[in-house]
Parts: sequence; C-alpha cells; structure tokens
Amino acid sequence: MNEILLAIIQPVLLLLAAPLFSGVSRVLRAKMHTRRGPSVFQDYYDLIKLFKREDVRTRDSGAPFRIMPVLFLATVLLLAMGVPMITRFCPIPALGDFIVVVYLLALPRFFFALSSIDSSGSYPGVGGIRELLASSLIEPSMIIALFAVAIATGCSNIGDMGNALATLSFTSPIAMVVAAFAFCIACYMELGKLPYDVAEAEQELQEGPLAEYSGPSLAMIKLAMSLKQIIVISMVLAIFFPFGSAVDMAPASLALGLLAFLVKMSIVFTVCALIENTVVRVRFKLLSQHTWMVVGCSVLSLAFLVMGI
Amino acid sequence: MSKRGGNKDKRCGSTHVEVIRRQFHGALVSEEWQSEEQVTMTIRADSVPDVVQFLYYRRGGWLSVVVGNDERPINGNFALYYVLSMEEVDRCICVIRSEISPEAGAFPSVAARVPACVWGEREVRDMFGLTPIGLPDERRLVLPDDWPEGLYPLRKDSMDYRHRPELAADLENYEFLNRAEPGTTTVIPMGPLHITSDEPGHFRLFVEGEHIVDADYRMFYVHRGMEKVAETRMTYDSVPFLADRICGICGCAHSVAYAESVENSQGIAVPERAQVIRSILLEVERLHSHLLNLGLVCHFCGFDTGFMHFFRVREKAMDLAEMLTGARKTYGLNLIGGVRRDILADQSMKTIAMLAELRRETEQLVEALLSTANFESRTAGIGILDPAVARDYSPVGPTVRGSGFARDTRFDHPFDGYKRTDKVARVHDGCDVKSRTLVRVEEFFDSLDMIQSWLENTPSGPILNESWEYKPHRFAVGFTEAPRGEDLHWSMTGDNQKCYRWRAKASTYSNWPVLRSMLRGNTIADAAVIVGSIDPCYSCTDRVTVVDIGKKSQVVITKQELEDYCRDRSRSPLSGRG
Repeated sequence: MNEILLAIIQPVLLLLAAPLFSGVSRVLRAKMHTRRGPSVFQDYYDLIKLFKREDVRTRDSGAPFRIMPVLFLATVLLLAMGVPMITRFCPIPALGDFIVVVYLLALPRFFFALSSIDSSGSYPGVGGIRELLASSLIEPSMIIALFAVAIATGCSNIGDMGNALATLSFTSPIAMVVAAFAFCIACYMELGKLPYDVAEAEQELQEGPLAEYSGPSLAMIKLAMSLKQIIVISMVLAIFFPFGSAVDMAPASLALGLLAFLVKMSIVFTVCALIENTVVRVRFKLLSQHTWMVVGCSVLSLAFLVMGI
Repeated sequence: MSKRGGNKDKRCGSTHVEVIRRQFHGALVSEEWQSEEQVTMTIRADSVPDVVQFLYYRRGGWLSVVVGNDERPINGNFALYYVLSMEEVDRCICVIRSEISPEAGAFPSVAARVPACVWGEREVRDMFGLTPIGLPDERRLVLPDDWPEGLYPLRKDSMDYRHRPELAADLENYEFLNRAEPGTTTVIPMGPLHITSDEPGHFRLFVEGEHIVDADYRMFYVHRGMEKVAETRMTYDSVPFLADRICGICGCAHSVAYAESVENSQGIAVPERAQVIRSILLEVERLHSHLLNLGLVCHFCGFDTGFMHFFRVREKAMDLAEMLTGARKTYGLNLIGGVRRDILADQSMKTIAMLAELRRETEQLVEALLSTANFESRTAGIGILDPAVARDYSPVGPTVRGSGFARDTRFDHPFDGYKRTDKVARVHDGCDVKSRTLVRVEEFFDSLDMIQSWLENTPSGPILNESWEYKPHRFAVGFTEAPRGEDLHWSMTGDNQKCYRWRAKASTYSNWPVLRSMLRGNTIADAAVIVGSIDPCYSCTDRVTVVDIGKKSQVVITKQELEDYCRDRSRSPLSGRG
C-alpha cells in the first residue's frame, strides 16, 4: 500500500521540482558565463507564461503533432512511477524492468521525431531525423550495458540490480565497472545536453523539433524534457550508485534517502554543467564516432562478463 | 581629360598605363592621376572587358568595386569605373573608366571574363538602367522584387529621394539558383531572419539530408539608400558623419575611407598627427570587431561560454574606444583634412595600460578556445574557400587571407599611420574557417602592437588642415582596411559644395559572392559557422510588438500592416492603440 502511495507521490513531486532542477542548471551555466543569470525559479515563470499563451499549430500539421506533448509528458510521468529515486526498490516493480524503462524512453522519442516531420517545417524535419539517428546510435549501448548488469546480478529489475550491486552479490566486477562507464556516457548523451544536443541545436536548427511548438504544448515538452533528464540520471544513480537510498518504507530511512538523492543529484548536475559549458557542440556527422566508442565499451563489458572477470 | 603637372613617369601606375597603350591600340583615350598612387584611364567602352581582364589576370589586379555614375549633366554620358587594386608589380589603384552614351544605354559586360564584376554590374543595371551585354546573372541585386521596372534610383533625373513608387508586384519572385538536378534536393531556408545571423539576409540551402549541394542568397533587404541621400541633400563635408553610420562596428573605417577619397581628389595634405590618430582609431575598431567575431565563432559552434568570455573582454576594447573618442563607437571623429579630437598624453598612458590587459586576457581565452573539445573538428576543413575561386571573385580581409593570399590594403597600399609600421599581412593557407579565425587572432595581437608603437611615437603638430580650396567635379578613391577587409569609397565632388556621387563599398560586399562556393559540400550544421566566418555585416530591422502596460494589452503588428503603413503613410499601426 505504501509503495502505491510512493508511486503516486513520486511523479507529482518530481513534476513540481523539475523546473527547479533546470533552473539550477541555468544558474550554474550563467555563473560559468560570468553572467548574473536568471533566478533559479525562472523556469517556473517561463512555464506559467507559456501555459497562458495561445497554442499555435502549422496548417499542415496533423495528429502526431498534437498528441506528442501530452504523450511525452505522460510517458515520463509513468517512468517516474517506476524508477527508484529515494528508495532502493521500484515503487511499482512491473515498471522497473530495464527493458520496459528503455523502451518507455524510446516511445516519446519516436513521437518526438514523428511530430517534427509532421510539423512540415524544414528545421524541425532535420531535427527529427537527427533525433532518430542519435537514438538508434545511443540505445544499443544502453541496452547492452544493462544486459551485462542483468546477467551479472541475475535480475532485470532496476531496483534489484542496484541492490545486488550495493550488497556486492554479483559476478564479474571488472565487467560491471566497464558497464557502468559505458552506461554513464550513454546516459549523458541521452540527456541531450551539449555537446550532444544535435537535434535541438539552437545555432544550427533553431531548436529543431521544438521550433514549431508554442504555448501550453511547448510548456509540456519543456517540462517533460527536464523530467526526463532527472529520470535518466536517477536511473544511473539507482543502478550504479544506490548508496544512501531507503531500503524500507520507514520514515527515517525515507528521509535519509531523500537527502542522499538530493546530494547525488546536485553533484551530477554540477558535473553536467561543467561538461556542457566547456565543450563545442559535436559535428553531427561525427556523432557516430563518439557513439561507437560507447558501444565498444558496453560490448567489452559483455565480453568480460563471458570471461567471468 | 587634362593631365596634371609633374613628372608622370615617377608616379605609381605609369607602367600599367604604358602597357595598356602598347597592347591595346587606340583603346586608351586619356589618363589622369588623382594622387601619387591612383591613376584613372579612360578606355573606349568596347575595349573595357579586354583591358580589365588583362590587368586583373596578367598584371596582378584585384577588383575592388564597379562604380556607375550619371555624368550627363557634366559631359552628356554615363560613366563606369572599374576600380582595380594592383598588388603585384607597380602597386597602385588603377581605375578603368569608360563612357556610355545615353542613347546606347548598354555596355559589354566584364563579368563574363572577370567574375568579380558580377555584383558591381548587376548593381549598375539596377541603379542606372544600363544593360551589361553578356552578363551571366541577370537577376536584380539591390532593388527589391516589387520595385517597378524602368525606375532607376541613381539617375540624376529619375526621382526625388523621398519618392515612394507604386509597387509593381506583391510577390517575392526572386529566383534562387540551384545547380543540382531538379527534385533531388530539399530546400532549407535560412532567413530572411535567422537565429544566428540576427540580421536580414535570405539564404536558401539546397540539401540532400544534411549535405549542402548548393546554396544561394538574397541580400539588400534593408538597403538604406545612403548614396542617394548623400547626393541629394548633403554637402561633401557632412558625408563622413553619414559614412560612420554605414556600419555599427566599423563606422570609422568608412568615414576615413570617404574622407580620404575627398582628400585625394582635392589634393589635401592631412597632417601627420591626424593620420596617426586615424590609424589608432581604425585599429581600436579592429580590436573590438575581431573579439566580436571570435566570440561569435564560439557561439555558432555551440560554445556559449567562450562567446560570453570574449564579450566580457571585448567590453574593455569598447572602454578604450570610449576613452579615445568619447563614445563606445568610434564615430564622428573624421573631418575632411584631419580629425576632430586629439589624443592627450594621459589618455595615451591609460590606453597603453589597457592594451596590456587586453593582450593578457585574450591570450588566455584564445588558448582555451583552441584547446576546447570538438573545436578543431568543427572548424578545420569546413567552409573551404578554394584559392582559385578567391582569385576570380576578389574577396577581401581575413576571408581571402585565410586562403593564402596576402591581400591587406594596409600593407599593399600603405596609408596614414601604416606607412610607419613594419608589420605585414597575416596569412594562413588552410582555406577553412579555422584559418580565417587564426588570421583574426594574429591580427588582433598585431593591432595591439601597432597601437602601442603609434602612441609611443605620435608625431606632434596640428590635427586638421583647413587651408585648401574646394574644386568641383574632381573624383578619387579612398580606402581603408576595415576589420572585415577593404572598404573602398569613390566620390566625386559637385557644384555648390555638394557630393555629386558617392559609392561606398563595404568589405562584406566583396565577400558575399564567394559564400556560395564556401557553403557547397558542407552540412547544415556548418552553415552558420561558415556564414559567420566571413564576419558578415548586414543591417538591422525588426517587426514590432506594442505592449501597453497601463491597459495590460498586447498587440502584435503584422507584416501586412507594417507594409501598408510603409506604402501609404496613413493609418499608423500605433494610432488608437496606445
């Protein structure tokens, strides 16, 4: 019963807190730019303003363009119910299976690309194609790395994987380190931050798929994108860095779990801000060279696993 | 045309005149020197393509600008001036002049032989209604698509500068060129307003997937008609202040170029101190312009941190300009015959201190930029400007210097303070965005050196020469090396101290035509950084949102409303709304 309650509270809290996380990102970015920067609450103001605005669509756009924002937000909320954050176990175990998680991430991406082609703009069209290509380059390495972990720990649930890794009940430690490395990089690419924000590249494609969206639709997409970033990071934390998360539903351990989650989250956000503000965007043509390295690493982890080291 | 006195064989350009006289029998009608380094040869109209081609390809000439002039009130004909900068043997400015009778109204096009003339001849066609026979590209260049046929703005008898003609069409019917097979490419429009250019220019990228097969563009959306205004309502000595306003960055380069064109035509000796002050201001302009472009290169590559830091440092260069001129922009300093404001001893001390600061900070930033991840892969080998294309189209500034040609007006035809420097043009031969960026970096540090040495050895004396007499109907060329390349102004004085004709060629005008070949073969991702690498200069315009804070209402004025208001000047979009 308590788990169900957590599964409901978790996405709601996350929805409310997501703009704060992206606001913190913006402040960190401004500091590195030596700008004063906006308030940490700026993203709340932006979203409120967008929700008040009129929703404008291009004349030639159809159903995929209309349903994408809702579908995107709904899917990430569903994900937020399943991924362990302050707890070590999944609030709804059925949603915590790694294959479910990875494909729930793929579903909105597919619609994201579809809607950008449907929007009949040329920049969104190019952005949509880039998004599809980038995901087909990144997805395999995520799956392979998690597959290696699943075999080593003997379970396919994210929470159980994390628990097994934390309690050292798994085989092939070197394979796990390599898998963790590959998965972290794949997830960083998945975040869509610089240098890998090829689909929305502002200077190249004028925000690509987002270019034709406005008002509440744009607000929903922005919200969903910052939620998705938190979920992807939580997934990394839950599997490979589950330290401090609550093992049971006792209030004290939940509070400690929350604290640990916030600390880990802010560390990750700072590291991400450091990376994204000190690099030049990768040339889209060269993206595959970067992803090959990651695919290579995850295959290596699988090889180590087979060798048993 | 009368020859001025003096020993003509000692003058620059006399060998070119001799060769033309020898090789093209009967083509040379007369020659005249405007200054020691400038010669204008009047050539029979039908020999012009041969002569220009000969000087361009055989004698090391580069085309600066094509000037059309309505000289019917003076001698009954139109005149065309092809301004060539001779940069190999016998360096000088060589102007090929030809007269075209109003009855004929046509002239043989040079553009088929020397591609660099394409824009110039298209502009002459638009503005004077003279037909270049055999011009490869017959689209309009300067006039908008909806401008009526048969109205040529720069003819002296055509129209008042306030005249707003009835529009001929509502359609934008400019034809963009695409050499790919029809149906094989997709169009990606960049502009008229694009997020990375922030100024109006319409690019069409013809792409296959991400790959740019061909590109074309339409410019002159915000043509301000400055030349017409200067001719009709300004005196020759007020034009420098208008010339300042041509550019928001390199205004001083334009007013120096204009002032020198008048000084050359009137034979005014500018005091040495004024010359050095002009050069210092030109180099200060280069400092902040190059920092701007380095920042923008970062921005186009998606490295906003670099962009912000370059702008932080650039602010110091702006402070420098403010201290020396009284304003952040180096505006309003030039007069015919000198400058308005002296540089005082304590200003010069402070400037030297600020130069050291700028040098230190920029060195750090450039080092950081060059070692930033992915910077190399985004700029090396991108936006190749083939040296052969460059030779054909005469681009200027870091654009051409990044392709291995040491073209720099400051050192090819030393003027002002540049006579007293031992610096040489900076060249890289990678032909790509990276080379152009590195040229800018090196020039930045050269500018710091030059400013410092001039400040330490400024000649003393007056800063303005006022003892000269105004002579009408004299023309000459004035030029400077703006941060983006050569700015060249051609001016002719008129009766009643009016400016009879003023042709201002901004540096980017020479660089646009090569952009098409630079974009080909790259990807959409590179388009912004390639366009940015020529450091383009447009002019600004925007539509308007009116917000009434009192009534909490918000009205967006549509393009249609603005257009209607521009046409009939009644029913202001603002009336009754605020």
